[in-house]
Amino acid sequence: MASVASEPIDTTTEVPGKRTPLVTGAHDYGSITEAVCRLAECKAPLSWYLALAVSASLMGMLFGLVGYLIITGVGVWGNRSPVFWGWPIVNFVFWVGIGHAGTLISAILFLFRQDWRTGINRAAEAMTIFAVICAGLFPGIHIGRVWLAYWLFPIPNQMSMWPNFRSPLLWDVFAVSTYATVSLLFWYMGMIPDLATLRDRAKNKVAQFAYGLFSLGWNGSSRHWHRYERAYLLLAALATPLVLSVHTIVSFDFAVSQLPGWHTTIFPPYFVAGAVFSGFAMVLTLMIPVRSICGIKDLLTDRHLENMTKVIIATGSMVGYAYAMEFFIAWYGGNRYETFAFINRAFGPYAWAYWIMVTCNVISPQLFWIKKIRTTPWMIFVVCIFVNIGMWFERFVITVTSLSRDFLPSSWGYFKPTIVDILMLIGSFGLFMTLFLLFCKFLPMVAMAEVKSVVYEPPGHGDYQPKDEELD
Amino acid sequence: MATTIEQPEKTKAEPELLGLLAEFDDPHALVAASTKVRDAGYNRWDTHTPFPMHGIDEAMGIKWTILPWIVAACGLTGGTIAISMQYWMNAVDYPFLISGKPLFSIPACIPITFELSVLLAAFGAFFGMLGLNQLPKLYNPMFKSEAFRRVTNDRFFLSMDASDPKFSEIDTGEFVKSLNPIHVEEFWSDVESPKLPRNLKLGLSLVGVFMLMPIALVAYKRSTVTDTPRIHIVPDMDFQPKLKTQNTTGIFGDGREVRPHIPGTIPRGQFKDDNVPFYYGLKELPEDQDVITIAVQDDKKADEKKPVADEKPAEAGKADAKSAAAAKAAEDDKLAKLPWVTEFPMPVTEKMMARGKERFRIYCSVCHGLGGEGDGLVTLRAMDLQQGTWVKPASYHTDNVRKQPVGRLFNTITNGVRKMPAYGPQIPPEDRWAIVLYVRALQKSHQVDAKTLTDEEKQKLRDTK
Repeated sequence: MASVASEPIDTTTEVPGKRTPLVTGAHDYGSITEAVCRLAECKAPLSWYLALAVSASLMGMLFGLVGYLIITGVGVWGNRSPVFWGWPIVNFVFWVGIGHAGTLISAILFLFRQDWRTGINRAAEAMTIFAVICAGLFPGIHIGRVWLAYWLFPIPNQMSMWPNFRSPLLWDVFAVSTYATVSLLFWYMGMIPDLATLRDRAKNKVAQFAYGLFSLGWNGSSRHWHRYERAYLLLAALATPLVLSVHTIVSFDFAVSQLPGWHTTIFPPYFVAGAVFSGFAMVLTLMIPVRSICGIKDLLTDRHLENMTKVIIATGSMVGYAYAMEFFIAWYGGNRYETFAFINRAFGPYAWAYWIMVTCNVISPQLFWIKKIRTTPWMIFVVCIFVNIGMWFERFVITVTSLSRDFLPSSWGYFKPTIVDILMLIGSFGLFMTLFLLFCKFLPMVAMAEVKSVVYEPPGHGDYQPKDEELD
Repeated sequence: MATTIEQPEKTKAEPELLGLLAEFDDPHALVAASTKVRDAGYNRWDTHTPFPMHGIDEAMGIKWTILPWIVAACGLTGGTIAISMQYWMNAVDYPFLISGKPLFSIPACIPITFELSVLLAAFGAFFGMLGLNQLPKLYNPMFKSEAFRRVTNDRFFLSMDASDPKFSEIDTGEFVKSLNPIHVEEFWSDVESPKLPRNLKLGLSLVGVFMLMPIALVAYKRSTVTDTPRIHIVPDMDFQPKLKTQNTTGIFGDGREVRPHIPGTIPRGQFKDDNVPFYYGLKELPEDQDVITIAVQDDKKADEKKPVADEKPAEAGKADAKSAAAAKAAEDDKLAKLPWVTEFPMPVTEKMMARGKERFRIYCSVCHGLGGEGDGLVTLRAMDLQQGTWVKPASYHTDNVRKQPVGRLFNTITNGVRKMPAYGPQIPPEDRWAIVLYVRALQKSHQVDAKTLTDEEKQKLRDTK
């Protein structure tokens, strides 16, 4: 039997000339299955029920507020002249950004043959789907008359008119819905073999039926696996540019306008870097508690966490560079409105938000240069919370400061959120957490088949010793 | 040592042997076994593993899948659909003209083309994979094997299909056993057809019918006539809680929604009517207040007809021109009869004259010329081009114009005449009166006998450059 290692090892140290194992503990194929399926098969702990109760009530509050908004109108938000793009857009961009880590971890790291992704990709992809659901909600209700949302889609209607394809807002519709669809396919396709595992282990009829239905009759055939792996590779190759395109297009909403502070070419790369940054922070925020509670520390090792903090240092530094470059270009470009917009961001009425953003996004990730912080889960958790806060404020600063102080002092104003704004943001976290908790309970949280394939050494590869044949 | 799986009691047809399943507990043993099966010349067989095993493809001799080509085809289809959709919708069927930009340009189409290409390619990858694998296939006779359940966990299986031409129950069984599996079993076809339970079918049909009902109701409502008010599921802006004329309200004491004038206030638009000479150039408004604007509008309509008239045969053109000339004469009469003011309705000062000169040079001189002879630069250029659509502006020094009262000149500036557009929206009334004053001064300057001037005035004129 293929077992991995006999005793726990410190995977955060590099031993030259030796590959660090991706799974620690004395695991074989069967025990990996056990570890992952235990979550779905055993009774959930009390803490899970408590967490679900809290997040489900927050989700209920969100839906109540959405109903209130639809009945009353978007006036319940604090969006007033001149700041018509308030929190709903801030929340949208924030959540879309969160949604980038999943597909990025899965697709890009898959293409780069980074096998350490196997431990985290499933949960990260799930997080993507749920974050995109939260993101999609806000522009959906932001249009005011939600029952006319179909006007956004190029479908024939009795008005015989078509949407304007040169509008970045329409690009958004296509980008976000394509991203949601492809991410869902990618996530679901990766899950089919693991759903089959749950099907084959299920004891009760309902579980057998549900898992049986969704595993589509998977029987592990090698001929199937061959096509499956091709399809997975192709989906990864398609999803990679898609991730980059989605936030680029979201940034076009801003960059294609003429507003000082928005009309900049740095937005696409800067938004993408920020999205990856916030997405990784959110994955870590979720996975650190989950791996302790669910007992999958062997599969999701300290090394996984450390690798992700390194990505956070890289993207956090990119974001910091973008902040500096915005200032530089505002000065170097010689556009006085642009210059004012940036000086106003840092020292104007929203200086508080700007400096929260800089502290959380530029300074806090740099703490990861210290190995002690990088390898201590609770410290990573704290820093990641800061990054999440900082990234929300980044979107707030971009959206609100530019609108509240544009060209003419006669059209200046100060944006104040309403209680509905605040509760909806909190409620969106409730929606996100509810979905995530349900996912933890009912679906395979770790990609079992992929972890097993990492554990398996193909013949003729690496330092594999064919023990059985020697014994023969 | 093939173990037969338990057969159902009620045998309706003979169960058929579908194949053999050999179980291994080590992936490398499976790879080794696969090589042997391949070399033995079997075609219809497979291995089943809990994870994709690299190296088994060669061992089994699996050929490369055509999936990438399917994906490429789907992606190209998506891109083509996107480009043609955007072209047809925005440039052909419902042209969007925005700031004079071209109706169709590739750069603006890139985002959606990219997104749709990726979307369709992803569908191609996912559904193509399922299609090539013949999934979903929820029922599989192998699933009845208790041991086979571990195929998604930690066991490795080799399945020999009975439909293989080389397959024979005994020989193949012996061959499979020689591969050193830990266990071998047979799997058989079902004797009972794997049909859905009756109740489930009934339930699903009922759900289907219920789901169709709202659609059917909507279709019915849309295709029939009713004398009851239509149902507003979403009221949109059809019913608004605002006050309307002829309705009653509880807000005001008199119960009327239409409000009477409030004493001491001037209604919107009233201010101009209180200063008719200043704003209209008329002593009082004629009973038919629209007479001035109507005259101008008619004039514009006549202008619009002109290019059409040019295309017509010469005779018809002449007739049109005649009728247009007649209409113009009638309008002139109408205008001449209006009670124009003859005095300036504001104090005439040196400053006003200077302002009038400045405004005249900005707005009027380009066509009428600095001296008002109708020889402005635009006019000269238009005459030079000889396009035939240009009406030469009138000279101020004809008797007709000289005799016009100041009010009428003011009206001409305000509402325009013939080809001249209305300058009312551009020039405030004070400035229009100033221009009238300057025009009057120009007219006077062309008709003065030098003898009537004093020496001082002559000297002053000589000093003026």
